[in-house]
Amino acid sequence: MEEMRNIAPTAESAEAAAAASRNTVAPSVPAHGPVDWAKKNLFSSTSNTIQTVLFTLVILSILRWLLGLVFDEATSWDAVATNLRLLFSYNYPADQYIRIWFTVGTLFVGAALTIAAWGVDPKVGIGQLAGKFIGAGVFIVILGLLAPTNWTIKLGMIITGLVVGVVAGIVLKFFGEREVSFFIFLCGVAGFIIAVMWLVPFGRNEFADGAVSNTPGTINPSTKVPWTILLGIFLGTVLVGRALVKVVAPRLLQMLMVVFWVVAPAFLIFLVLRDPQFDWDKVVKTDIPLAIAFAVLGGALLFWLTKPGLGDIGRIVAATTVGIAVFNWIAAFLGIYSMLQKTRLSFLLLALFALAAPTFSGEKSARIRYAGVWVGTIVIAHWLITGINTASTLDIAAPPFLGGFTLTLAISYYVMLASFPLGIILALARTSRMPIFRVLATIYIEFVRGVPLITILFFFSIMVNLFLPGGMEVSELAAVFLGYTLFSAAYMAENVRGGLQSIRRGQFEASDALGLTTSQRTIFIVLPQALRVTIPNLVGQSIATFKETSLIAIVGGFDLLRIANQTIPNQPDFLGQNRPALLFICAVYWVFAYSMSRASRSLETKLGVGAR
Amino acid sequence: MTVTEDALTPELAARPDMIVCSGVKKWFGDFQALMGVDLTVKEREVMVVLGPSGSGKSTLIRCINRLEVHQEGSIVVDGIELSNDLRNIDKIRSEVGMVFQQFNLFPHLTVLDNITLAPVWVRKKSRVEAEKTGLELLERVGIPEQANKYPGQLSGGQQQRVAIARSLAMEPRIMLFDEPTSALDPEMISEVLDVMKGLAESGMTMVVVTHEMGFAREVADRLVFMEAGDIVEINNPESFFTNPKSERTKLFLSQIL
Repeated sequence: MEEMRNIAPTAESAEAAAAASRNTVAPSVPAHGPVDWAKKNLFSSTSNTIQTVLFTLVILSILRWLLGLVFDEATSWDAVATNLRLLFSYNYPADQYIRIWFTVGTLFVGAALTIAAWGVDPKVGIGQLAGKFIGAGVFIVILGLLAPTNWTIKLGMIITGLVVGVVAGIVLKFFGEREVSFFIFLCGVAGFIIAVMWLVPFGRNEFADGAVSNTPGTINPSTKVPWTILLGIFLGTVLVGRALVKVVAPRLLQMLMVVFWVVAPAFLIFLVLRDPQFDWDKVVKTDIPLAIAFAVLGGALLFWLTKPGLGDIGRIVAATTVGIAVFNWIAAFLGIYSMLQKTRLSFLLLALFALAAPTFSGEKSARIRYAGVWVGTIVIAHWLITGINTASTLDIAAPPFLGGFTLTLAISYYVMLASFPLGIILALARTSRMPIFRVLATIYIEFVRGVPLITILFFFSIMVNLFLPGGMEVSELAAVFLGYTLFSAAYMAENVRGGLQSIRRGQFEASDALGLTTSQRTIFIVLPQALRVTIPNLVGQSIATFKETSLIAIVGGFDLLRIANQTIPNQPDFLGQNRPALLFICAVYWVFAYSMSRASRSLETKLGVGAR
Repeated sequence: MTVTEDALTPELAARPDMIVCSGVKKWFGDFQALMGVDLTVKEREVMVVLGPSGSGKSTLIRCINRLEVHQEGSIVVDGIELSNDLRNIDKIRSEVGMVFQQFNLFPHLTVLDNITLAPVWVRKKSRVEAEKTGLELLERVGIPEQANKYPGQLSGGQQQRVAIARSLAMEPRIMLFDEPTSALDPEMISEVLDVMKGLAESGMTMVVVTHEMGFAREVADRLVFMEAGDIVEINNPESFFTNPKSERTKLFLSQIL
């Protein structure tokens, strides 16, 4: 009996046992150590082990070859160190360099305000960061062991790697659980850069009296001081921006920043780096009245056109503006009447706004806002165009005034920015139901995709000016930009078209059932979803654009690659030394391309691509 | 096309016509989906359309708001003839709301943005006003707390209720439902049907294509049975289920009940 009582479970104990077995907390799995991970993933079977060994040998050989390039006796890294300014800004006059610093500063301020406006504040885990530094330390040790150079340098690298690894390991052990705010992380990075600039004795390389001099010591104050100030401004602006967002609506700041990133680089390139010499007499007598006329009259027209329920008369007026705008250009070609380029462009802008007006019609505040956007656009456009068309006070040896990395950045930035909307329009035209748009768009895209970029650049830089009527001419920079944009837009169009085709038919039906017009459906429903899907393609295209700017060299521009490949090896002190410069610009291109890639990943995550 | 017994009570017959389909024929290529449909939907009527797959019920209601184009016959919605004239189509679409089987919510917008998009941009309402109405509608369908979530974060039943609220935000006079509960789990069907019942009680003109017989029996004013592009029978719910007139109706009911 007693044994039976002990063996047979009662109802209560069974329930208790069941409750105990229903864990509410998942059992903790011990973290894989690196040795466990290696055993499981690299050496799990014979074939895996053989593959691991083989590939490790291959990777180590490649690393050793690269290090050989870097540490080669014949490679003079002085060539890069002395020519850094040349690589980044080519012939920009040294006494005006404050303009370049101002430009960089403005971009930093913009970046800081953008970070604040969008509330970017990811928590940085110390543990993860420390882990990465440990990995970096191990990598540096491996490089040190592999480097085919003298033992002083090798030992230096190994010790640096060990120090980094050990410090990171200590940080991991004691602070691994904590997180720091993004701002502190930025401060840390900035502090590290400043410390390296002010403390590490890179040596002072410069051209003095026509010869290369290499004074020992830390780098040139003319480089250290501006960068330190700029980094300080960047950090300060992040704080100011964060405070601002608490007071002003974030949406307003976000819209301002979008406008900033579209317009500010143009201002910086043409009005700051170039210093146009405004003819104040002409400005007051012609330019300002013209701008005011367009702003006021155009604003009134648009205010009227956005009246809801305007019907046919509104459509007729909008069509007339388009007609006038197009006829202006035809008249210019045929020589019927001449008109300032600025006026033609203003009419074109007015026509675009007039066409879009019905979509933005509504109550009075919406209409005033639309007219306000027009006035803002005209002011900015006229200011820019006037500035571009006046001569610069800067005396630069070779046109254009931009060179080196500045040229690469300027061209690729605006090509990306301009080819994006153009690509969208082309994609919409190609998938449109109206045959004329479809045919024209298809011809354009297929023609451009069949022609190499070089051909287009040649055509635009050399031939375009021959085809334009008298009075109209396009500067070399503008020609290259135009050709490149038209090229890039065709590829963007195909990417966007892929995205458009991925949208389910139900979305179109739901929009139609709600009564949205075709353009409203395209802007609010179709394009947001299509663009989300093609972000990887679009960013990939942008990265290609960024790297293809090196082709400008062939049509006469002095971009980064040309300086590294031709200018530096032709300097008497560094004859034939193209390798260090090329390796250096490889690294520069890679850093920027990889940043774009990473930014694309974050954008995708934020927009929920693939998740919603 | 055979219609047995229109089941128009005198009270129903007295109401104005909302939708009048006369001899509507539609082809998809060579295949004829609608064989000449004559149907009149009265104001504030709840009409339920039943039938096997391929009978043309979805095609018929999609013709009403021009998601499909009929080749012959005429459709007149609230006095407006449905033709190729874009202005008529726009006017009709602003009076007719539609709820789809696959919900078709806009996944990149929050629930509230889904609801306020059309009122702001089509009816030109102010954002403040549209959001106020939107939140009231969300309360009416029972999910006010989901306003700032994305459709992907909601269950099927909640999504369909948002879809109903989105259509109601345009203040339609007629609501079309194309198998609204066919894609839902059984537990969620009742929450959507309750919303539709409430809508019917508030006096909305509804045309519902569904397989939910319980709903049809309880809420419908008239039932329409379609098969192979034809209307076979129109009857009131009681007689339809207990005393169907046509043999084909009897066969259909024996298969599903």
